[in-house]
Amino acid sequence: MGGVNVDSGGKGGRKSLDSEINMIPMIDLLMVTISFLLITAVWTHMARLNADAQVPGPPRPDVEQQTVEPEKQLHIEMRTPEKFVLIWKQGATVVNTIEVPRKDDMATANGAKMIRYPDLAAKIQDEWKNTGSHRDPSDKKLDQAILHTDNETPYVNIIAVIDAVYQTHRPLNLGAKTEPVPAFNVTFSVN
Amino acid sequence: MTIETPGRRLMHHISLKFVRNKVAGHGGRSVNAGLSLTSMIDFLVVTVVFLLMTFSASGETPLTKGVMLPKAENTIDMIDAPIVAVTGSQILVDGAPAGNTRAIEDSKRLQRVDELFNMLKGKRETWKQARPGKEFPGVVVLQIDQDVQAVVVKSVFQTAAFAGYPNVSFMTDQLPKTQH
Repeated sequence: MGGVNVDSGGKGGRKSLDSEINMIPMIDLLMVTISFLLITAVWTHMARLNADAQVPGPPRPDVEQQTVEPEKQLHIEMRTPEKFVLIWKQGATVVNTIEVPRKDDMATANGAKMIRYPDLAAKIQDEWKNTGSHRDPSDKKLDQAILHTDNETPYVNIIAVIDAVYQTHRPLNLGAKTEPVPAFNVTFSVN
Repeated sequence: MTIETPGRRLMHHISLKFVRNKVAGHGGRSVNAGLSLTSMIDFLVVTVVFLLMTFSASGETPLTKGVMLPKAENTIDMIDAPIVAVTGSQILVDGAPAGNTRAIEDSKRLQRVDELFNMLKGKRETWKQARPGKEFPGVVVLQIDQDVQAVVVKSVFQTAAFAGYPNVSFMTDQLPKTQH
């Protein structure tokens, strides 16, 4: 039997202070733990991208309507295969329009497609730095980005654009510490 | 550990050389191999620590058969919410059939999926009855195949929103985060 003896005597008829560790139950325990962890292991990592739906609620006659100045919103249009169009709008007023070339470089691995739009992500980041309304770290509100697509666009392209929008981060004060959070809240337009 | 004088040797008639040869394989290489316990235990402990660090107590989110999720990098953690899966032309809510997308694909127009709407509304009512006084989070996770057309995504998205789930999340496969 394997064992670790750390004997230092224990003479004089007294019980030794040192004890021997029994290796067999210890190895058995380790083996059982490894088996359990391997069986319950999760090798695929699922995650999610948030996209709020802005559904208008029923009219509230008891609440007085406040007239507030509409905020600037970034509209991202992916209606053509050649370009993205970024439009800053304040209410119905177009503040600025920018075109970004669209390159659908698709990588495929084991049937899974992957598209990235690094140029779009970089342009959105620049735009937010110049035009974003909520850049102060103490401002808890996020800028709004609205994605418009045509009806034939594959889902993988939509996710790639939302992923590019969420790449822009900003610091947000959370009490004592500051944490990076996405600069935009993405809404998926159904129009 | 003290070194002590050996005691009486038993069975003098058996030469130690014979025993040595028997154990060592008559001068050849022994067929018996030794196993270093220290290295083995080190290996086992490292494996246990690695597996414990990667252990997820929340378990695996079930992925509907036939759904190939798109990959994304700037994601957030999964939450416990109803899962609406769209695979082929079938719509499933937590694994139960909730209509199909054939009408939307044929007309290429945005439509409300009535079966999905009713099922989600039912789930919402059940949640509210089980937790009276609590605010309904209104979160739904869409598990959609990568090749599904935008018109189907929009229809499912809008149906979920009108059924009382305005916080819609798209389930993706997590890509490792890169430094920007």
